[in-house]
Amino acid sequence: MKQRTYLLWVSVAAIVLSCLATPAVRGDQNPGFAKANQEYSEGRFQKAIDGYENLIRSGQWSANLFYDLGNAWFRLGNFGEAILNYERALAVDPHHPEAAANLVLVRDEARALELKRNGIERYIEAGTSAQYSIAASIAFWFGLFGAARLFFLHRRSAALVSLIIFSTIVFAGAVLALYSLETSNRGRALAIVTGKNIEARLATADNANSVLSLPPGSEIEVLSQRGDWLYAALPNDLRGWIPANAAQRVRM
Amino acid sequence: MIGNRSTMYRSSLKRSLAHTAIASIALAALVGSATADQPSVTSVLTSSETTVGQPVGLQIQVKGDRNAAPPSEISVEGLEIQSTGQTQSFEMRNFDVTSSITFNYTILPQRAGKFTIPALTLRAGSNSLRTPELTLNVTNSPNQSSQSNRAGGTVDPKKNTFAELIVPKTSAYVGEMIPIVVRVGFEIQTRVREVPPEIDLPGQGFTKQKMRASETQQMIGGKTYQVVSYKTAIAAARTGTIEIGPVEIPAVVMVPQSQRNRSFPQNPFGLNDPTLDNFFNDPWLTASVPRQIKLTTEPVNIEVKALPPNAPPTFGGAVGNFTMAADANPKSVQVGDPITVTAKISGRGNFDRVTGPAFDDEHGWHKYPPSADFKQDDDVGISGTKTFETVLSPNERKDKLPAQVFTYFDSLKEQYVTLRSDPIPVRVEGGTAPFATAPRAAEMAPAPSASPAAVPKKQDILYQLTELPSTPQSFTPFFVRRSFCLAQLFPLLVLLGYVGWKMRQAHLDNREARRREALQHEATDLKRSLSRADASPQEYFSQASRAIQLKTALAKDLDPNTVDAEVAASVFQADENTRVRLRHLFEKSDEVRYSGGGQNGIRLVPPETRTEVLDLIDSLRR
Repeated sequence: MKQRTYLLWVSVAAIVLSCLATPAVRGDQNPGFAKANQEYSEGRFQKAIDGYENLIRSGQWSANLFYDLGNAWFRLGNFGEAILNYERALAVDPHHPEAAANLVLVRDEARALELKRNGIERYIEAGTSAQYSIAASIAFWFGLFGAARLFFLHRRSAALVSLIIFSTIVFAGAVLALYSLETSNRGRALAIVTGKNIEARLATADNANSVLSLPPGSEIEVLSQRGDWLYAALPNDLRGWIPANAAQRVRM
Repeated sequence: MIGNRSTMYRSSLKRSLAHTAIASIALAALVGSATADQPSVTSVLTSSETTVGQPVGLQIQVKGDRNAAPPSEISVEGLEIQSTGQTQSFEMRNFDVTSSITFNYTILPQRAGKFTIPALTLRAGSNSLRTPELTLNVTNSPNQSSQSNRAGGTVDPKKNTFAELIVPKTSAYVGEMIPIVVRVGFEIQTRVREVPPEIDLPGQGFTKQKMRASETQQMIGGKTYQVVSYKTAIAAARTGTIEIGPVEIPAVVMVPQSQRNRSFPQNPFGLNDPTLDNFFNDPWLTASVPRQIKLTTEPVNIEVKALPPNAPPTFGGAVGNFTMAADANPKSVQVGDPITVTAKISGRGNFDRVTGPAFDDEHGWHKYPPSADFKQDDDVGISGTKTFETVLSPNERKDKLPAQVFTYFDSLKEQYVTLRSDPIPVRVEGGTAPFATAPRAAEMAPAPSASPAAVPKKQDILYQLTELPSTPQSFTPFFVRRSFCLAQLFPLLVLLGYVGWKMRQAHLDNREARRREALQHEATDLKRSLSRADASPQEYFSQASRAIQLKTALAKDLDPNTVDAEVAASVFQADENTRVRLRHLFEKSDEVRYSGGGQNGIRLVPPETRTEVLDLIDSLRR
């Protein structure tokens, strides 16, 4: 009996450890990154931006890189691009404190519009995709091990049944939270207006009636694309068409 | 008079009195509820254009309070305004009774000019009501455009009927509303049996409606007439001359037979008394027959002019004379909340072409299509108030609503008039401030080569970060990353191992159980055999030792073949005596098994020996 309990705990510990594996941060410098930082510190922001964007094009994505790029765009007065890159930094690392702080500051400066979130979405956004994934994984395996144990036990165990029910609830809640994170207006459809003097319109024409003026950095939720136009949900709960080159999705 | 009048005359007096009494009681009961509505007042001229000496009517109607006091004396220089009495009326629609009182005035212009009848104040209970201002345009030349067309001429006093088509203008603009009146008069002595309740206005090139009859009594040329008036308003649809009429009005009148047959004496007594002659010639008393007659007016021509070119972009086709009042509710909202903006366009004109006013600057607002509601003040719908409600939703902070703009063509001034409401102050909170008033940091930002200090801001952004993670990060959700999926293999393998182990254990448990069951079965059979007396010693002691082996094996989960006397004694922790007896039993069993002999010729086991062996087996307990 003791041997079985020991095996069970070893399994659980293995699951947790396997889920909690996170990449370590290294201290050594990427030469391109260091050079771009140097350009930034010397006030050559456009060159710094070129350096950061070269790193991004080479696939070396990181929250810090997007954050630094956002700072460089802010120095050039391009609030739309700055907010876009802060959002990207937060999409990569939702608990990036510097990106969150600068995003608030630049949004206020740009008077950018934000998409509305309901109470449930705000509550769910307290956790990250990784946290919900780990919770779902642990609950899933706990529930499965409990069910297997119950199957081979040949007798009913109230504790085991409770564990299975609890695990199922946690698993369902975590999966729902993940679904909400992915499909809400903060999910993969989130885009940022980077163009200037952008008007959301009722139809895919430059002379169509305007629905909303979108300052640079405003959030939109892309619903579909037709040619050079994006159909998007707007911060005022309405929908409209905006030129596709006037907004960029946060997730690359 | 309208409809079959003869039936009315045939009704009995009692029946009429009873109906009148019931109607009066019901009316009196309903009047109380009729006063519950908030009283309102309307004021309307029968025509806004006239000539010197040509009177027009002014009607001031108060709805909801039949005890309203008339306005004080109306005095306008150049106009002689005299009261011609007041009428009260009740109207019931779906058991909703409204009472009203109408004050009638006749306005006689004494000189040409444009006159404004000022707003008048009336007292209705505790309420103070105010009429709108009215404008009357008076010309002194019958040749001017505002001359009234009176087809049918003046009423001939020699005839006891007349019909006339009254068109107040000889020229108009396309779309301008022109009130039309067709009047049919019957001298009071004429018994009119039937006139049509509504007639059609013949002619082309204008929009028209059915003309409904209303009846009054008027003194014309010293004679009293029953006058049936048909009113409507037309709007010219094309330029050029349009002809209105002639209008034919069929009627049925009762003609005294005495007038048709002169051979009959004028009175039955044959007396030459004019008084008696008048009595017997009274059409109400003499026998009469119905006769179909047709009254016809003369046609009238109107010259229709096109509207001037270069109309403002906000012009929607409204022609007439209008005023506009704007309001909004609520005046304090959050960004995105709706504000209902009301525009009341009042006046006289073609209200069917009065469209919702435009907003001069819709930037930062989301505008929804307006709703419209028209309340007419007259019989033909060319005077009233059209109310537009437009919902505006602010997209950003605002301090005032955009001004509303409404353009119409004033047919008197012969020019386009644009009404512009004052911007209504509102308070919009939340969201962002309006761009026009807020400094744009982006626009003030320096060129790419500018220094960081050039960016104007109260609080600076945080510093650059100089560390990168050892492995690139990803936008891919955590649950679809390869590392996460691979990590799930470990618990999966553990689970599969656990399940396999448990299944194998179950299989083994099952085999052991079957083995134990076989041993148990064998032990039961042996015990039954040991109780019998017919067993040979060789067989008996062999079975006894086997029984002990089985019992020991079942007790300790051992292979029965490995059990000997010592093992059995230790398993059951037997005492020395029992151990000796066990040893003796196993020796006896080996002896008879390997020696082949049987107890020195003894063929059966003595009963005492069987009892002793059975006692020994039973005494083995853990």
